[in-house]
Amino acid sequence: MTAVIEVSGLTKRYGDTLALDDVSFSIEKDTIYGLLGRNGAGKTTIMSILTAQNFATSGSVRVFGEEPYENARVLSRLCFVRESQKYPEDASPLHAFRTARLFFPNWDQELADRLVDEFQLPLKRPIKKLSRGQLSAVGVIIGLAARAEITFFDEPYLGLDAVARQIFYDRLLEDYAEHPRTVILSSHLIDEVSNLIEKVLVVDRGRIIMAEDTDAVRDRAANIVGDTAAVDAFVAGRTVIHRESLGRVSSVTVMGALTDEDRRELSAHGLDVTPVSLQQLIVRATQNATGSTAASEEGSLR
Amino acid sequence: MSRTLNVVRMQLVNRQTYVWVPLMVLAGALVITIAIWAALSSGGLEGAKYGGGAQAPLWYFAIVGVQALTRTFPFSQAMSVTRREFHLGTILTAALTSFLLAAIFVVGGVIERATDGWGVNGYFFALDWIWADGPLVAGFFYFAMAMLFFVAGYTGAAILKRYGNIVLTATLIVLALLLIGGMWLLGRLDAWGTFFGWFATAGPGMLALLMAAVAAVLAVAMFPVLRRTVP
Repeated sequence: MTAVIEVSGLTKRYGDTLALDDVSFSIEKDTIYGLLGRNGAGKTTIMSILTAQNFATSGSVRVFGEEPYENARVLSRLCFVRESQKYPEDASPLHAFRTARLFFPNWDQELADRLVDEFQLPLKRPIKKLSRGQLSAVGVIIGLAARAEITFFDEPYLGLDAVARQIFYDRLLEDYAEHPRTVILSSHLIDEVSNLIEKVLVVDRGRIIMAEDTDAVRDRAANIVGDTAAVDAFVAGRTVIHRESLGRVSSVTVMGALTDEDRRELSAHGLDVTPVSLQQLIVRATQNATGSTAASEEGSLR
Repeated sequence: MSRTLNVVRMQLVNRQTYVWVPLMVLAGALVITIAIWAALSSGGLEGAKYGGGAQAPLWYFAIVGVQALTRTFPFSQAMSVTRREFHLGTILTAALTSFLLAAIFVVGGVIERATDGWGVNGYFFALDWIWADGPLVAGFFYFAMAMLFFVAGYTGAAILKRYGNIVLTATLIVLALLLIGGMWLLGRLDAWGTFFGWFATAGPGMLALLMAAVAAVLAVAMFPVLRRTVP
């Protein structure tokens, strides 16, 4: 696998606020990444520094092996439409797409037309009069039809209804299968994108706290479902992160990968194993990281 | 280079902003002015009448300069355009449209002079002092003025976006103070006569050159600011 983006020691400070704290990671070619984290964790800051829209306080960023800032050779292979993207005064979606066609060498007009149709986007209405969902659709269409080698989607589903979101996920996967590329999707609807993303990058308070294959993350924990007494016996001594009960049936989420022996024991007691929601795992990881940071901050205060 | 030219196309993709609205502003101002002149003439006012309505589209250029930075610049970043490409393309667009505006002013002025001021002895484009050295110099004067208005708006917006409201306000206050200081100095030295005398002898060409020079200096000096501006 080749890395298309390499970040090392990236730090971004806004006045007193440390938005990114010595972040290092790399992004591999032709892979779909989920850039996950809470609001204000630093997701948009990372994406805007990678695309040279914003500036690092310190640290280095290499995209296709080069510094992206003022580098047309690199930038023309990237596409990043912000969640709060501004458009020219009085511009309509039609103007935006015509312009995108000028700048993105792989622009696919047919795909753009089809998406306009599917999202039922009014092409000639001024962008400032569009609803939040229609505004998101403009960004999504540019991101998909540009077919840039690295495409960033910044919370692309804001205001989109369930049908529109599904269209986005479906078209992204379809087009990705035909034209492999690197996609970095920032999201806090973790479960909704979990089937889409191959790798997970979790940002919390300006730090990367998880960078793994989605499947590996999923294997970190399991849901044990079955008779409450049997479930309780099995989970005794294990780390339980979630518990739901209905009558005599319980579903308990435990940390740690299951061994073969575990699985034999589970089937012997008639218990079922179901996959854990990625969201739960990440929420837990984020809470842990937050807890330890808070603790160390308290410690340093004393 | 082609990407810089594409920035021009991006700026002009919505022709409403750069072409039709300024033309409408201009045509509207002209029609209203001629109507007023006609009314004055029918009222028996015979002398030559002059209108300042031609400056209307110039102010619009300043607004377009502001919007180029506050709206189109962030969009250009999403289009993966470098700041240098954006800057060159935007200045080129401003030059192109300023040239068009100047050409319209010259044609308007020529018509005006040929028809004795639209038949009502009124002058909208062909103001005597600006036209003293002929239509070409007048055209250059209008071009330089439009460029200056555009670049001033564009630079002001860049300062606002890069450094915030306080720095922009401070800059404007300092500029105003410098201006007042200059005026005070002129009065103190009893040099107002010399000052206006210089303008009278230098003619419109010199003033146009001066405006073009200020616009050029601003356009160059603002680039380092734009280079560090975040959309």
